[in-house]
Formats: sequence, C-alpha cells, structure tokens
Amino acid sequence: MNKNKTRKVGSRLNAVSIPTEIIINIVLGLFCLLCIVPFIFVAIISFTAEESIRQIGFSFSPVKWSLEAYQYVIDLGDQLWRSYFNSFFITIVGTVISVLIIILYSYALFRKDFKYRKFFTFFAFFTMMFGGGLAPTYMVCKNMLGLSNNYQALIVPMLLNVFTIIIMRTFFQSSVPVELIEAAAIDGSGEYNTLFKIIVPIAKPGIATVALLTALGYWNEWFIAMLYVRDPKYIPLQYLLMQMQNSVDFLVRNSAMIGAEAGKIMGSLPQESLRMALVVLIVIPIACAYPFFQRYIISGLTIGSVKG
Amino acid sequence: MPKSLAATKSPFKGFAKKKKTLILLSMIAPGAIWLILLRYLPMFGIIIAFKNYKIFTKAPSLFNNIMHSEWVGLKNFKFLVATSDSWVIIRNTIGYNALWIVLGLIISVSFAIMLKEITKKFVAKTYQTLMFFPYFLSWVVASYFVLAFLDPTRGLLVHLQKAWGMEVTNWYNDAKPWPVILTIANLWKNVGYSTILYLAAITGIDACQYEASSIDGANKWQQILYVTLPHLKPMIIILLIMNVGKIFNADFGLFWNVPKNSGPLFPVTQVIDTYVYRALMTTNNPGMSTAAGLIQNVVGFICLMGVNNIVRKVDEDSSLF
Amino acid sequence: MKKVLSIVLCLMMLTMLFTGCKKDPKVEDAGTTPDATTETDTDKATVTEAPEVVAESETAEPVTLKWYLHGSNVTDDSAVLEKANEYLKEKLNVTLEPIWGTWGDFDSNSVLAINGGDDVDIYFTCSWSADEYNAFAKKGAWVRLDNPENNLVEKYASDLWGQLPSVLTQGATIDGSDGYGVYAVPGYKDIATQNCWDVNVDLLKKYGYTVDDIKNTDYYGFGDILKTVKDGEGADFYPLLVEGAVLERMVNNSIIVTGDSGTSNLLSYYVNPADTAAEGAYGNTILSKFETAEYKAFVEKTREYFLAGYIDPAMGNSGQANDTRSAKQLTGDYLIGTQSYALGYEVQVSKERGIEVAMVPCTPAYVDTTSSQGAMMAISTASKNPERAMMFLNLLNTDPYLFTLLDFGVEGVHYNLVNGEAVFTDKRADYSPWTNGMGNVTQLPPQEGQGADFQETFKAYYGAAKEIPILGWAFAPAAVETEMGALANVAAEYALALSTGTVDPAEKLPEFIQKLKDNGIDKVVGEANTQLATFIAAKGN
Repeated sequence: MNKNKTRKVGSRLNAVSIPTEIIINIVLGLFCLLCIVPFIFVAIISFTAEESIRQIGFSFSPVKWSLEAYQYVIDLGDQLWRSYFNSFFITIVGTVISVLIIILYSYALFRKDFKYRKFFTFFAFFTMMFGGGLAPTYMVCKNMLGLSNNYQALIVPMLLNVFTIIIMRTFFQSSVPVELIEAAAIDGSGEYNTLFKIIVPIAKPGIATVALLTALGYWNEWFIAMLYVRDPKYIPLQYLLMQMQNSVDFLVRNSAMIGAEAGKIMGSLPQESLRMALVVLIVIPIACAYPFFQRYIISGLTIGSVKG
Repeated sequence: MPKSLAATKSPFKGFAKKKKTLILLSMIAPGAIWLILLRYLPMFGIIIAFKNYKIFTKAPSLFNNIMHSEWVGLKNFKFLVATSDSWVIIRNTIGYNALWIVLGLIISVSFAIMLKEITKKFVAKTYQTLMFFPYFLSWVVASYFVLAFLDPTRGLLVHLQKAWGMEVTNWYNDAKPWPVILTIANLWKNVGYSTILYLAAITGIDACQYEASSIDGANKWQQILYVTLPHLKPMIIILLIMNVGKIFNADFGLFWNVPKNSGPLFPVTQVIDTYVYRALMTTNNPGMSTAAGLIQNVVGFICLMGVNNIVRKVDEDSSLF
Repeated sequence: MKKVLSIVLCLMMLTMLFTGCKKDPKVEDAGTTPDATTETDTDKATVTEAPEVVAESETAEPVTLKWYLHGSNVTDDSAVLEKANEYLKEKLNVTLEPIWGTWGDFDSNSVLAINGGDDVDIYFTCSWSADEYNAFAKKGAWVRLDNPENNLVEKYASDLWGQLPSVLTQGATIDGSDGYGVYAVPGYKDIATQNCWDVNVDLLKKYGYTVDDIKNTDYYGFGDILKTVKDGEGADFYPLLVEGAVLERMVNNSIIVTGDSGTSNLLSYYVNPADTAAEGAYGNTILSKFETAEYKAFVEKTREYFLAGYIDPAMGNSGQANDTRSAKQLTGDYLIGTQSYALGYEVQVSKERGIEVAMVPCTPAYVDTTSSQGAMMAISTASKNPERAMMFLNLLNTDPYLFTLLDFGVEGVHYNLVNGEAVFTDKRADYSPWTNGMGNVTQLPPQEGQGADFQETFKAYYGAAKEIPILGWAFAPAAVETEMGALANVAAEYALALSTGTVDPAEKLPEFIQKLKDNGIDKVVGEANTQLATFIAAKGN
C-alpha cells in the first residue's frame, strides 16, 4: 500500500494533529513553568539585599538588590573551590563505579537462565525493605571499613542503590530481546563480551537514565558527609550549604535555651540570601550536565539487529 | 537431532552451563559484597528495637552496649499505638500515599507519552529538563516558596484576596485546603523524576512498530493503547510495586517543612514519620526510633509481597520476583 | 526455594553476630591498657593512693585526649593547638585533639559517637543538647566524678571545685547510672535565668510613654499602650513580638522543668516572683501546665490581643515564628518582645538594632536546674584515660592562660589586648569556638565594650541570683516515655497556637485538655510529683 512513501525530515506522518499538539504544549508548558518558577524565586532571593529580606521577607520584587551573597561566596575562596572539586570528583568517580556495578548485577538478574536469579533478586531487594538503622551502619562504616575523613567515605556508602538495580533490570527487560543473547552465544561470544559489546549499546537510554539518577544522588548528598567527614579538605558543596542551614536551624530552635547569645551567634552566620546563592551554585552545574545525559535518553534507537 | 548426538553433547553442555553460572555469579559478586558489608552486617542493629538500650560502661562499643542491654519485648513499640490519634496518623500516611501513587502514575505516564509526541525535539528536551528542576530543590527551600504565597501578612495569595475584597484566610491555621496544597507540592516535586523513567522506557520502543500499526489503520489512541502502554507495562508495574512497599513511609521533608510545623494543621498533615520524630525529640531513645522504623518496614514489606504475588499470578514476567 | 532463602538469611545473620564478637577490640583491650585505668565499677579493687598533688608517675605516659565541643566555627586550629599542646605537654604530658562540632551537626554526631562507643574522652553536654546531661548519665555514658571509690574530683580537680559557685556543683549532682553524684564538670558562664520584656524605648517614647509605664504594669495591663502604638503605626505593625512558650512562662511565673524539655513543655513549676528562693503559688508541686487557671486566663488575654492585631499570625507556627522574630528584632519592628536575659545584653542589642532597648525583668534572676546545667564537660565511659581527662579539665578551668588561648586564640594573632579588653582580629573568623561553651569564662579578659571590670560585675550579678527550692532536681521520664511521646505530639498541635492567640481558646482549650488526658498526662504529672517528693525528702537530710 503505502510502502513506497518516503519519510521526509520533520514530516507529520504518524504525528498527532496540530490542535492536539498545541494542547500538549500548553499543558506541559504550564507544568514546566510551575517547576522553574520556584528556582527563579531562589535566584532572585540570592540577589536580594539582606535589609530587604528583613523588611518584607522573601519576595519576587525585592526592595533592594545586592551582590553581597555572591561576594561572600567568593570570599569563601579556597574552601568553595575545594568543595566544588570534591563534589565533581565524588560524583564522577562514584557514578562510573556505581553504574558499572549496577549494570553487572542487574544484567545477571535479567538473565532468566541464571540459576540463582530469584535468590539474588530477593537478596538485593530485602535490604530495601529492612535495615539496621543509622547507628549500626555508622559503626560498620567507620570502625570496620575505615570510612572516615577520606574520599572513600563519600563514595562507598552510596555505591549501590537497589531501586536503581531494579530499574536497570526493567530497562533490560523492555529493550533487549532475549534472542539477541542466544544469537551471541551461538556466535561464540563470552558473557562479558556480549554484555559490553552488544547489550550495552542497545540499552543506552536506560543506562543513561540510571547514570543520571546516580550522578544526581551523589551530587545532592550531604548527610553522609556530615556523618563521616570532618576535615574541610573533603567536604562536598552540598554539605557546605547544609552546614550553614543546619546551624541556623538549630540556633533558632534552641534560642530560648542558649539564651541571649543565640542572637549574637546567628548574627555572625551567613544569612538567607547567601544560602540561596549556594543553592543556585549547586544546581547550575548539574543542570548543565543534564543535556549530556539527555542525548542518550531521548535519542530514539532503532534496533536493526534482530531483523532478518 | 539424533539421540546419540545429543547424548555426546550433554557432558559438554553441563560444563558450559556451570561456566555460565560462574561467570554470571562473578557479575553479581561486587554488588553482593557491598550488600553484605553495608546492608546485611548492620542489620544486627534491629534488635535494639527490643531492648532498653544502655551503655555498657566497662567497655562501651555499639556491640557491647547492645549485647548487655536488657530485653524489653514490645515495650518500645507502644508509643506508636498509645496515642488517641493513631487512626488519623495512619489514615493520613496511607491515604496520601495511595492517592499520590495513582495520581503520580497517571500524570507521569501521560506526560511521558505527550513528550514523545512533540514534533520539535528541542522543545521536548527543554520541557524534560525543566520538569526535573524541582528534584534539585530541598523541601526546606521549597517551603519558603510556598510561604511566599501563603504567608498571612505578606503572601501573594493573601494580597490577591485583599485586592478582590475577599476575607483573608489564615492559610497556616486552616486545615481544609492542605490536602490539595500537599498534593500539588508532591506532584510538583516527583513527577519529573517518574516521567524520565517512563520516557526512557518509551524511547526503547522500535519506531517501526508504530509505523506498522498505523499502516494497519490504527489511530493515535489505538497506537498508544496497543503499542506504547504494553511496552511501559514492566516499568509501570515495578514502580507500582515498589511504591506500595513504601506505603507506610511518608516523605518527611514534605510534611515537616511545607506546613511550617503549624499545630492546627495536624489533622491533615501529621503522618507516621513526623509523629515519630516529634515523639523522639523528647525522649531520644534509640530503641523507640528503631522500633518505629521496623514497623514501617514490616508493614511495607507485607503489602509489597502481597501486591507482588498478585502480579505474579497474572503475569509472571512483570513481577519483582 | 523460599525455605532455603530464609535459612540462608538466618545463617548469615548468625555468622554476623559471631564475627561481630570477634572483631570487637574493645572487649579485649579493657584489661590490657598500660595506663592506670580507673574502673568506675564499684566491685573492682579499691585504689590505695592518698589524694594529693599529681604524682610524677601518673603523667609519665603521653596521652592524647579527644575533646568534643559544641557550636564551633573553626577551620584552622593549627596555631592555637601548637601553643596549647606545647603547654599541655609540659604540664600534663597530654596532647589535645579537639573535635569541633558545629551547631548543625553536634546533636546527631555526638549521640552516634556516644552510642557507638567512639574513643572520645570528653564530651560537651548540657540540659538542652541531644546528648542531654541527665538522660545520658542514666544511660551510663558519663563517668561519675565523685565516686567514693575513685574520687576523681577530690584527687585531680580540687582547685576547680573550690572555685565553682555552689549552685553549679549542686545543679550538677544528679541521679545517674552509678548512683547519686556528679557526672560532669559544670561550666561557669551565665548561670541564672531572667526573662525580661524586651522594650523598644524609642518607639515607646514616640507615643509619650516611658519605660516605667511598662514596669508598673503587667501583661494584662499592656492593652492601652499596645492600642495606642498600633493605631499610630498601622495595620501591618505588630507591637507584641512574642515567643509563645517564653511568653507563657513570663506571664505565669513558671519555669522549664528539666527533663520535660522536648518540643513543647507539658509541666510547670511555679516560682515566687518576689523571692525566687521561696516557694511559689503552688508550693513544691509540678502541675500540668495547660490545665491551670493561670493558663486559661493567659490564653484568653492573648487571644484578645491577637484579635486586636497586636500579634503577628506568623508567630503561631513554629516553622515560621523564629525566623520572623529574628528578622523583626533586627529592624526594630516591634514594641514589646520576650527575651531571656544575659548580663550586658541590652547594650549589645541596642548597638545592633540601632534603637534604644530596655530589658524589664519579670522576676529577679534565679538559678534553676536547666540554667545551672547550661554547659558542662563530661568524661566519657569509653575514655581510656579518665584521670588525665580530669586533670586537663581542672587545668582548663583554673588556668587563665590556657583557657584564654583555647577560647579566644593566640594573643597577637587572633586578638589583641587593648586597655585590658580583647579586640578580635580578622583571623578570628578562622577560629571561633563557642566562647561560652568551653568552661569557666570568668577567666577570660573582657571583650571589647564590656568594660575592664566586667568579670567582677558578672560574678556579682550571677552570685546574687537565688536558687529556686527545687534546684538540682530533673525529671526522669523513662517510666513514662510512651506517654511523653504521644503527649509531645498533642502539645505540638495546640500549645503554640493557643499561646499566641492564633486559635480560639473557648473552643480549642477544652479540646486540648481532653486530648492531654486521653494520652496520659495525669500519669506523667503523678510520676513527676513522686520523683520530686523523693528528691525533696533526700535533700532535707
């Protein structure tokens, strides 16, 4: 019938009708506006003068603008660059190692012909449901594994995320046809070879998604830093922010107990606009990294290999 | 294949099978070791829930302290049920979660499908990036944003109310609108994340399948029903099962920060996690906090296994295990 | 398959328990440390040394002491530690290794360290930190310092003990895991509580009032003044800038009952506003705060003030209240506020806020258990060198050179002495521990602006503070933990909203009281009174 029709670039063949597409754009557009507006709000606060915040609180149109927050950040000097470096380092190294371990584990889970498939799925999954709690984990990490005041302390506790393993396995299930593996086996390919040369290229959208989520996890993590790292040399950016946030929160909550000093101490801690400036500085790099992952996620892949 | 040939091949086949298993085990190994060290080893801490945790002054260490503390059975669990508000707390936790699982699923899947249908890829990519931004903001920061709208003196909504001559609502004192406010907040934060997962799954679908079905005369709706959704089924079901596993856990950050700790809102904002946190700020008893976590985990686990079994009966491939 | 799975899991958990047994080094070490490890356990052999000057042999071994502090903002302690360790090595053969806990992370990390048996020697503790003094003493985290068997205080800290005011040593004596005694060294800082009305005098004068008008009336009489100012300043001005919980205590003359200091206080002890050493209106009993007639009158008046527009609705929810309060204080956007006072505070804030501020007290300064336990240093039971730790604390709190070095920094680098006052340099930003949280602050030189004789005024003011009748008693909630947990949530739901007038007491107060009763408040109050009676009886002996 229409087999001879050629696909033109940007053709509307098999696309929705234009009115529908407009509606789609409106709906998604509004939602995205809702998503980005708070962030713009944060950015505005970071450029607001402290007096304006005291007078009228946070607002979209401050009484007075100022660069004092960013000035303070630049004055932080070495510590800031150090923290940026730390965040980048642990995110990149952590994501690479983590994604590797996850691909290996979930691939084995994906293989229906793996003898211990059910066991290891349950093995991983059980840990998602039950845990010993913070204190025992802290003790194991710190005392037994020596994760204290070093980069390992920031990378190892987050190396594996069972949720991500399950997601990866599901991606394999959706995008990899089983015949492919059999075909590769018949062709004499070893397991690792099959995995990395054949399966991984096909599962790229899934892997890219998992890598993105892992990277985000590492980038945003501060609690682990609070527990295991004391030396300013190793502090990641997000913890620098949370340190200030937590300190102010604590003082505010306990001002009655600490008494008159609390006010004095709070006066010397960084103020609201600074905290917002840090939020901006934390989000920008990862937002920029996002398109890098997106290339692999959105690109439609055609699987030509299974066809005859 | 002639029987004799099959017979000669079998020892080789057996060996090949063993080799395959070993290789696959080697793939499992790094992950499994991590799980043992960082997840299974600390699990001995669960017994703290059943003990009256005291420090063993002769030689204090976590292990010694636990071993030498006395058993108290279920005493640490009592505070979870000894309140006149147990029903409200549980209803809130499960109610919000159930609503948001369903709502989140419908909206995320719809958004993923919509994104796929946009012809200009640049626009779709922009939407996808923007949708993800809420994930970066912590609830603390997000709560300031909500405050900017709802503050009884300076909030934007309040200004609007005054401008239109309406009676000003004291938002943080009136419980009625909060289920809606919290739902919008939750969707805002989490939809981007789920949409990405579904979108990645859709992207894996071969374009030829769509072409083939359209050639067969299917319109857009039918294509979605018969091509897209079946491909999304594994992802939808897995996420559903895992979310059900967390049905007894609430997003602490959301329920603690956004209502700004306002007492009059408790009937609709108090969930298990916030209740436990407030209770433990007074007593700081490790046994009680472990007990709370354990109960949440056990209930979640039971629900999850239940749903998993149902799914397994219907379609074994889609189940978790 | 499932059966196999569960058996395997069980086996794994069992093996973990066993490996845990083997791996733990501390159990083995307990008997082999070379230093004379003093056992706090009472059935160990008694020590036969006579209490005297520290013998040479006792400081023969070099020891490292880990010292966990609160509220620090320290990024570079190398200069200070170099000098301090030089000095300490000479005096005590000790190397100090401070752990600079910050405001934000001390609570969670210190508790983890204590529960996990980390090898920290000295912890900061007090009545309001997460490693709360009384609770952790009962848990067995602190070494008892005046244990008759091995009296660390007598042997190594007699100088220090003599110098501390008796209210402090008394406040530190509590019922702990090792009997009734002292479990930490109290820090001599501002030890008295005095709640004051924080008055914006400039604004007051603008409308023709003076501070005496405030002094001559009480909370219930503020109405006229508030009305005048509100009418004058406009609808967005809220003259009463009040912290709900503090306001209630000020109006009703009640205090925080130590041990009931969670999210919302449930118990009240009433002091006598004329003479805090005498018994108050209810004598020596603990009452359920919210069920008293005083509370009812208080919330009704506050509701009146709220409806008249004197109180900002933001003060009604704790997430917003404190931010709002700090912001408004700094801009002077209030008339009357609540403030817990410390000597010299009004001078300091007048400068900060650019307005004249007066502090009008409600009661004379008094010492209660909470304020006497405001900052303490406890020796951890996990410490391998409790004697050396005690010696260090003794030296720290009696040697002005050492204390000033650790608290202010190195003279000439972090601060300079100008006319007897300490003026901080830029370097101070790198080394800012919490000055009041280290110990005996009366040893410090006065800071800029405090005046050369500040320490004398300080001691006089706080020396004059009287003890309330129940000083030294702390409520031990262990028996009613379950009820306290539930009640904390009930209080969080109603207390602040009622105390700031944001909800209608006619409707909500009875509801609140009913819920308290449903969740066991009577049991808690009963338990508190039983404990208090025991304490008073014991004290009388």
